[in-house]
Amino acid sequence: MLAYQMAMENPLIQAEMIEAMEFPELSDQFGVSGVPQTTINQGAGTVIGAYPEDDLLEEIQAALQLA
Amino acid sequence: MPREGPKGDINKLAEKLLNQDIEKQIKEAFDTQLQKPVQVIYFGKEDDCEYCADTRQLVEEVVALTDKVELELHDIEKDTDLARKYNVERAPGLVIAGKDGAELIDFGVRFAGIPSGYEFSSLIQSLVLVSNRDSGLKETTRQVLKNLTEPVHMLVFTTPT
Repeated sequence: MLAYQMAMENPLIQAEMIEAMEFPELSDQFGVSGVPQTTINQGAGTVIGAYPEDDLLEEIQAALQLA
Repeated sequence: MPREGPKGDINKLAEKLLNQDIEKQIKEAFDTQLQKPVQVIYFGKEDDCEYCADTRQLVEEVVALTDKVELELHDIEKDTDLARKYNVERAPGLVIAGKDGAELIDFGVRFAGIPSGYEFSSLIQSLVLVSNRDSGLKETTRQVLKNLTEPVHMLVFTTPT
């Protein structure tokens, strides 16, 4: 839900929940082994498992600086 | 609707995915928590889509529990312009948008695949989230997110169990 909450704040942010087993190619592409896994901007950032708000925010900021 | 009948395909198709207890819980949650109208935009496809029919049925059963959520149905291969507009690449796909009169407000909330099991509660929560038009995040987080000037596309991989 955190990704959805963040999407609410800015039209530039999109959050898509993916049923990993239905889309195995996509899951393989981003190396999904444990869930939930949040992949940011085609793999520029990744967060695995449950995480606090600040951690996801930091990962987003880091992913954007790399991009 | 009769509870008993001949076991057959027609009977099976008429079966509901949500039982009465679950429906009652969702209805209570909707009645107390939904505020503004929500539009669910469903994208399915005819062939090679194992979960399209079930996803559609599931969402139809959910939106029937409130008059604040409406559903529109599309085919990802036929309504390609709309799918592109909403950046929907996979079927079954759902867009959970706000509705303000005739205008839709896209908050970037999407599902790909059937929202069952764990993801079913995410579906219900996402409807409430969009209906309330409020992220519920900390003020500092909101400020950082509002100030982002580049696109952020998150894929959240989950499994039903």
